[in-house]
Parts: sequence; structure tokens; C-alpha cells
Amino acid sequence: MNLSSENTNDQGEYSASTRYRVLHRTAYSYSTPVAMCQNQLKMTPRSRMGVELHASEVRISPCPDSSRIHTDYFGNEVTTFAIEALHDELVVEVESDLTILGSRNAQPESDPSWEELVADLKTPVRAGMLEVGEFTYPSPRIDWNDEIRSYALASFSTEASLAKAALDLTQRIFRDFKYDTTATHVGTSVREAFQLKAGVCQDFAQLQIACLRSLGLAASYVSGYLRTMPPPGKTKLIGADESHAWCSIYTGKQGGWLDLDPTNGCIVGQDHIPICFGRDYLDVSPMCGVAVGGGDPRLSISVDVSENPSLY
Amino acid sequence: MDAKSPLSLTTYPISSEQFDACLSNTQDIRPGWAPLNEWVKSVGASGLSACEKQLQRLIRDNGATFTVEEDQEQQVRPWKLAPLPMVIDADAWTPLERGLQQRTRLLEAVLSDLLGDQTLIRDGVVPPDLLWANPAFARDFVGLPVATDSQDRRQRLEITGTDLTRTSRGQWLVVGDRTRAPSGLGYLLENRITTSQVHSQLVRQCNVRRVARFFLKLRSRLQDLAPRMRGNPRIALLTPGPKSYRYFEDAYLARYLGFTLVQGSDLAVRGERLNLKTLGGLLPVEVLWRHVSDRKCDPLELDPTSREGVTGLLRTVRDQSVSIVNAIGSELAQMPALAPFLPAAAKHFWGEELDLPNAETYWCGNEQKLSHVLANFEEFLLRDAFVVDRESPIDVRALPLDQQAYWRARLSENPQSFVAQRREQGWTTPVWEGEQVTTWNVSLRTFQVAAGEDVDVLPGGLARVGPTQDCLLGSPVSGHLTVDCWIADDCPTSGAITLLPAPDAAIEPQRGGDDLPSRVAEHLFWLGRYLERSEAIARLLRTTLKCLVGEEFELGQSSLPRLTAALASIGQLPPDCVIEGLGEAYPSLESMLPASVFSKDQPGSLQQALRSMVYNASAVRDRLSIDGYRILRQTAEELNSPPPVSGGVLGPALERLNQLITDLLAFSGLTSESMTRTYGWRFLQLGRRIERTHQTVELLSASLVPVSEPERLICEAVLESTDSVMTYHARYMNLVRPQLVLDLLVCDDTNPRSILYQLKRIDDAISRLPRAPAPASAGPDEDQESSRLLIEHLGQVNLDALDAAMNGRREALSQLLQFIGSGLPDLSDAIAAQFFFHTNPSQALTGASGDEFVI
Repeated sequence: MNLSSENTNDQGEYSASTRYRVLHRTAYSYSTPVAMCQNQLKMTPRSRMGVELHASEVRISPCPDSSRIHTDYFGNEVTTFAIEALHDELVVEVESDLTILGSRNAQPESDPSWEELVADLKTPVRAGMLEVGEFTYPSPRIDWNDEIRSYALASFSTEASLAKAALDLTQRIFRDFKYDTTATHVGTSVREAFQLKAGVCQDFAQLQIACLRSLGLAASYVSGYLRTMPPPGKTKLIGADESHAWCSIYTGKQGGWLDLDPTNGCIVGQDHIPICFGRDYLDVSPMCGVAVGGGDPRLSISVDVSENPSLY
Repeated sequence: MDAKSPLSLTTYPISSEQFDACLSNTQDIRPGWAPLNEWVKSVGASGLSACEKQLQRLIRDNGATFTVEEDQEQQVRPWKLAPLPMVIDADAWTPLERGLQQRTRLLEAVLSDLLGDQTLIRDGVVPPDLLWANPAFARDFVGLPVATDSQDRRQRLEITGTDLTRTSRGQWLVVGDRTRAPSGLGYLLENRITTSQVHSQLVRQCNVRRVARFFLKLRSRLQDLAPRMRGNPRIALLTPGPKSYRYFEDAYLARYLGFTLVQGSDLAVRGERLNLKTLGGLLPVEVLWRHVSDRKCDPLELDPTSREGVTGLLRTVRDQSVSIVNAIGSELAQMPALAPFLPAAAKHFWGEELDLPNAETYWCGNEQKLSHVLANFEEFLLRDAFVVDRESPIDVRALPLDQQAYWRARLSENPQSFVAQRREQGWTTPVWEGEQVTTWNVSLRTFQVAAGEDVDVLPGGLARVGPTQDCLLGSPVSGHLTVDCWIADDCPTSGAITLLPAPDAAIEPQRGGDDLPSRVAEHLFWLGRYLERSEAIARLLRTTLKCLVGEEFELGQSSLPRLTAALASIGQLPPDCVIEGLGEAYPSLESMLPASVFSKDQPGSLQQALRSMVYNASAVRDRLSIDGYRILRQTAEELNSPPPVSGGVLGPALERLNQLITDLLAFSGLTSESMTRTYGWRFLQLGRRIERTHQTVELLSASLVPVSEPERLICEAVLESTDSVMTYHARYMNLVRPQLVLDLLVCDDTNPRSILYQLKRIDDAISRLPRAPAPASAGPDEDQESSRLLIEHLGQVNLDALDAAMNGRREALSQLLQFIGSGLPDLSDAIAAQFFFHTNPSQALTGASGDEFVI
């Protein structure tokens, strides 16, 4: 049975489950041989609310001399490996088979007022919100100033409903900021991106998180992928065939986390496939490493996302 | 005080507002101080001054006040050692000791809770902000396995320090905790060893508790944490390096405890283990006592810019193949914001009161505390709530009003990032200063080593003193003097303990030296080269200067052009100094040559060679004997002393050169007589021999390749600057012939100054080096091939042909010297490629480049 996304609407309010196969390939080719490298990957999805992981495989070439998997503080699966023989090229392929459940991101039944939630988050022990309290604080890549806070307030001051205000903010960022791959780089700060009014998914996600945290709300950073081929009749979303990132807002004990994509101005639905979860980009950066030698390395990344009904 | 009244510890003035370690409010001497007072009375002012000088000398001889750069203001050893120790009698010490033991256990419990179940936060004992707003709380700290000892006890804090002060009534107060890698232990040890030498009798009379037992405990504790080979594990002390203020004490501690002193570049994670990179290959490290900060331990998972740590270290921690002391993440337990919550934490865990109170400290993240602090602003010192750094705290009272307003605003804006600590009066101890006994403020740091519930407090501590309380507030190296702190018992302490005999476990005799880190080998190699270069330049300069002042001045002149050419060819003089005729050049030479002895600007000059020599020596100071290091330190001191005011005077320059040559020879003698013939010695030798060959080649090329009569004086100058005058005259009396000089300096393999002798020693040293698998870049035995080739070539030399001259040049000699000269760099490079390959730079791969990761 093919449960594709024909039922999805733009707000992702309701849809049936979709099964995906994702292939993420990262290749380094070095101008001089590398004698030794050690790397860390955060590319393996996990089963979590709304996501069911069936299988995931990490293939590394050349074959690592040692490889370990551990779970990090945020519950992400981390692969650490070392290659100790001389090599000119490093290829990492991660292939995952997973289902995005239809229940994902259904509109929460209760929609608390955001001000009540902020008050609860200020006393996380009493409110029983210890697990999410830390997502209200600045993190290594995310802080804010008064300007960012006033920008956020424009969505929240007149709207009591948390979900509506947050989606409004998502859509304003989508409208007010230009998608521009040349405007920013991997180290661009939130404040800079806010000044530039431009950036890529990482900047938009971090900006919305900064906005939400500036109000005292809890927000996190999600790395992931987008469906490559649009459903019939839909246009292809920005960021397909690439890694993607968005933000997630805590809506209270009942509603849990709600994912929002400011790059596309929408609630995250069936098209979004999450991998890792953290406070900002630094917590989930998909691959990092240290190599001895290597000269001037050339990097190529490709992501292939396909619906995978044949496996049913 | 009347100058004539006898010196005593009971007569100096004390403040009624401060506790004094020696005198009570009624000027009565406190328990434990009586023997010291008797001593002061008996030796008087001259005795104290003499004692002060003796301490200075001993400390200097340990190489503690060593600086490489003259403009480097910060001394490597931060303080002088005071002649008067500070005494605390056992009755006053025991309750403090108990309090410190409890506090150490508490910090361990708190840290383990914060990185584990967080009951302190769940039960509202500690506000969650202390973690969540804390930029030092790297999430990677959570979930790391904890080192386990032989009794299966898990523990993060093995070695801790506590900073203490006393109230006017003598109550001890804690002003700060050090749980990451407390500094000062090495200086404390040096203080004790030094004062014990000077005050051996007093130490007995006062029944001073020995500190050696503490270090024994520390060593056995670290051994007990080894995941394998607990009997005799390899323990490494990871130091931030020679530029750090800790380097001296790290080297001192490593030598005393028998640990291997390493820097990040000496270590490598390979095959799922932490290893020491040595000439003999990789040797596993079982326990790493790290003195680098938590975030700098692993560039892969923590701070990617760190050069002090080891890539992949966290991986080995997760595999539990190495124990890190203290555990990565232990930095959290020393955050200043934690202190106000410790009394409640003690109740929370054990229902106990905290025995040892904190100095009054508030975390400003609490609204009530913040308003209290702002209402009494001038009484407080402001500190970062989360991180202990080397900055002084903000002393509000000392600020101008506009600055006070600024800090008020900062505090109100971001209160959770600050703690406010009430400014304490501090306490005092007597010091000998300015020819009299006076009292100075004191700051005491104690040290604890913990094994589960069992906590040992070092009897004593590192005491720093200064004339005001303010000057002690800053970094761990602030203060004017350091004072040895004695814990005095009523009766003699039992049994002497030393770290020298090994514990009961049998240790196999070792001969090899395979475990020489590659970095150390490299520094020894370059130490050898610069040592030899310095000596060669100094000798040639001395010979040249003598030509200017000698009896045979007229004759001496004829040698000058060739000697200056030689000096220019080795870099001591600028190349344009090479002059054909003497004439007008003489006056400038007379001033230029002596000036060049002191000049620091000319690249390749004597001063630069000496500087590089000292640099390489200081990088391997734990490998050199105290005596050897003392000689090099003296050389460095002379290097840093200013040149004589009148630059053109020959006398002082000659004097300086004479002293320098004596020092360098002393060091050479020491290495040949005292260093074991291990790999370290061979690298030093290789460096020396290669450099000496190079210097001789340059000298002969400049002096004896061109022929100009009369040659007697130039031959004598060459013999003198190669230290071969005696040998030559013993063989040939006063018959000076270039051919015989060449034989002695090139082909005579019994002359330790000849080129052939150097090459044979090089060949010999290379053949005894380990044959570790080298990377592809260095062919096998490439180095030995180079040396063999050179020796073979020398074996075929015909002396007559060498001496033969045509058109004023000895062409055959020139060609031979060129051949050798051009072979040397290859030889040096081959050795570097074979043994120093670890210095290859590494780079970070972000998985993201340029506009990567877009969308």
C-alpha cells in the first residue's frame, strides 16, 4: 500500500504516513595523502515522536580502523571513527529507511497561551519542565538582542495562541528574509544574519530559535532532509536534495514539540525528515573531523531522498 | 622598633582587625612558633638576610627563574621564597583538615549528581541556571564513563585545591575551589624541598609534618586508576607547554613523581588507545594527569582550535582505555556560583552541616540576593559565576563612580552570570622585608587527594603573601612572595618518607630509552646543533678579536680579511662585511666586531644561536640534569644582561666570550660524562656533530681555500678557533704548514675536531637509532646512506692534492668542502623525516565547506 502524501495540505495538519529511503553521501578528495583521520558523524536518524526508523547503515571508505557508536546528551546517535592508513579520499555514505508517521504535527488539542507557558518555563522545576528548560537559554551559536526580541514580539503581542503566533513568526521570516546561499557562511551569527535579512536554512532556523527564546520560550534546532520529488501538483521546495534544518518549539506538556520551517514558511509535515536534535547547529553538525595531511581537500555532498513504497 | 633591640617575632606591630598567624591580639606568640622565634633571635638580621640569599640561590639553581626572552616580563617562577615559614599548629589544623575532607567529598558528590541524576536540581537545591546558563557546561561532559579504581570506586575528582582565608577571630573561610587541575602543587613541593635544606634543624624542632606522604598517596592513587597494568602503569602529565606559567612546576612534579611529562603533540590516539609517540613507536598511556582545561582536551569533540589536547581523547575515555585525572567535566565543580549552595547540598546528600564555611558569597541570579548585593554594592567583589579565570575579580569599592554604575547595569542586565563575594579583611603572617620583620597579608591554597571516601589533605599548602589584601586577589600567581607553610606537631613526626624507593611491586630494570618522545628527540637534536653553533661562533669571534688586540698586531691584520669572511659566511656578520683589503675597514671592524657579540638583530648570529639553544633546552628541561640546566640558565642570564655601555670596547666583549666558551664547554663535558647513551643522547650528539662539520667546512672554505702569504697566522687562527692548537704544537712544534693543518682538521679521525671524526660519530649514532616504521616520505636508511657516502669520499682524499693551489686557490679543497657542505642538509633532512615526522600539521574537516550545507 502506498501511503503517499496526497492528503497533505500546506499546513501539514493531517496526512498519512510516508516511508522514505535517504542516501547521504559525503566525499573528501585530498590533494596530498592523509596519514590519519578521526571523524564524528551525526547523520543517523532515530525513532522518535512521529518518526519510525526501520534501518540505517553507515558505510565508510576506506574501511575505518576503529568505529564506535554512542548516544549524545540530546539523544542523537553519534558515530566516531578513525582511519589510520594513508588515503587520498574519504567517502561516507549513510543510508536510512524510515517512516514519517501521519500523526506527526497534528495541531495540538490544547493551545496554551504563550505567556502562561513562559511563566511555567521560568520555574521549570515546579512546572515539571526540567527536560526542556535549557532550550530557553542562549547556546554557543544563538543569542539575541532587543531588536530581535521586538521583531519576535510583533507576532506575539497581539496573539495569545502559541501555535498561531509561532506560525505567524515562521511565515514572517519566510517573507522578510531572502534565501541567498552567498550571503552567509557556516559561522555566521544570528545577529549578523538578522542584519543582512538573508541567509540559508541554518540562519533562518537559528533566527527563529533566537526570536522564540528571547520571549522566554523553549526552542530547538533540528537537522534533516526534505522530500526530493514534490507530490503531484506541488512545486519543489527549497533545499531538496540537500541537508536541511528547521526549528522546533515546545508547546507545553500536552502538545510537546512543534516543528516549524522558516525557510519554507510552513509547519513541518510529511516532506521533512529529521535526523538530529540540539540547541543549535553546533550540537548537530553532521560531520566533523581532524585529518593529518590532506593538503587542500575537495568536498562534495549529495543527498538523495526517495519514497520507498516497495518495501511494504 | 628600636634598631638596637634584638630582632624577634613578638615585637612587630599587628592589626587588631586581622588575624595574625604568629601573634595573638595581645602580642603573645602562637603555639608552634617558639622554635622559629628562638632562631630569629639567635641569627638576627644578618642571619635572616643570609638565609634569604641562600634560598634565592637554591631556587635559581633549580632553574626556576629562567626566561628565554629578555622582554618577557613574566618570570617563569612567579615569586621569591620567603625566609620565614608560616606555622600552623596541629590543634588549629586538625579541624580545618576535617572540613577540607568533607568539602572534597561534597564536591565529588555534587559533580557526580550534576552530570548524572541531577537530584540537586530536581529537588530545588541548586537552580538549573547553574548548568543551563553556564557557557562552560559542554554537553559532551555528560555520560562520559568515570575512571574506576581497583576497588571499583568511580570518582571524578582525584586532586583538588581549596583557597582559604581567615576571619579576624581565626575562623577559616573558603574563598574558592579548584577541582579541574589546581596549580601550585609543584611550587609548594619546591618550596618545601628548598626550605628543608636551609632550615633542616628548625624543621625538626618544629616537628613539621612531611609532605612526601601526600605525594606518595597521589602517585599510588593515579596508579590505582590505571585500566591495565596497575603494578607499573605509564602515567603521563599533560602540560600546556613551555609558554604556560605551569610549565616549570609541571616539569618539577613529573620529575619528582616519575611521570612522563608530555604535551599534546607527544600523544596520539591510535588503535583505540591513547599513546605516547616515541622513537621506538607508540607506547600506551594508562593514566593521563592533565593540566589543560576541559574544553581543550580534544579538538575533535570539544574546542576544535585547541593545540594543547589530543584528537580523539574522548573516544578513549568512552572506551575506558585510559583514565583522565581529574575527569573531563570536573571544571564544573569549581564554578564560583556553586559555593552558596554547598551547605544545602551537604544537607541534601547526608543531612550534614558544612563544617568549613564559605566566605559570604551570593549568586546574583536570585532576585533577593541581587537586591542585597546592589544595596551594599561597595562591600563586594564581583566574579564570573561560572568560570574561574586568571583575571582579578571586580573590586567595586576601588572603582570610580561611573565604573560602579557601569557594573551595576551589567549586573542587573545579566545577573545570573555573576557572583558577589564579600570582601574579606584577610589574615597576616610575619615576613622579613626591607631588613625588618613586618606582617603581610596571606592567601593559602590547600591540596587534597581523594580515594573514594578517603581524603588526604596535604599538611600545609601554598601560601602567597603581599603587603595588601588586594594584591592577592588576582591570578594564582599574584602576590609578592611565597611562604612555606608548616604544620607543627607536638611531638616528632613518625618515619621519614621519600618517594625514591619504589613501592613493593617489582620493577624490571630498563636500559633502552625507546620511550623517548619524538618531540623531545627533535629538541635535543636542535639543542645539540645550536650548542655547537654558539661555541663555533664564539671561538671564531674570540680569535678574530685577538687579532685586533694582539702583540703581533701588524701580522694579525693579514688574517683579518679571511676571518671576517668566515664570520660572514656563518652569519655572524652581514655578508657585505667581507672586505678584500684592510685599510679603511679597520676602524669600523674595531667597533663592529665587539658590537656583534651583543647584537640581537643579525640573523644567524651568536645571540640568535644562544637564544635558540636556550629555547630548545627549556623545552626538554625534564631531560636535562639540574647541573646541566644550571649552566644553560647562566648562559641565558648573560644573554639577557645588557651589553656594556660603551659599545666599541674590546675588553668586555672578549671577557663575555671567554665566559661563554667556558660555560658551553662545561655543558658539553657534562653531557659526555653524565648522560646515559640512550636515544636522547644520540640525538644531541647527531645535532652537535652535524653542526660542527658544517662550521668547520665554512671556516676552512673562507680561510684556507684562498691562498695568500704569509699563511702562518691564518693557520694559527684556524687552529685556535677549532681548539686544536695544543694538538698541533705537540705534533709539529712551531712548524705551521697548511697541509698539516688540513690533515688535522679534515682527515685525522683521532682528532675530535676533525671532519672525518664528526662523520664517523654521525654514522655510529645513526646505526644505533631505532628503525621504527617510517612514513612513505622517508626511504629506509636514507640517512645512513648519506653519511656513508660522505665518509667514503673522505677516505679517498689525497693530502697533497688538497693543499695544491692554483691561481691563489686550493681548488681540490674547495670541491671537497663543497661536497661535504651540500651533503649535510640532506643528512639533517633525512633524520628529520625519519624521526620527527609527527610535526605534520593537521586540519579540521567540518563536513561543510564554503557555501556547503546550504539551504
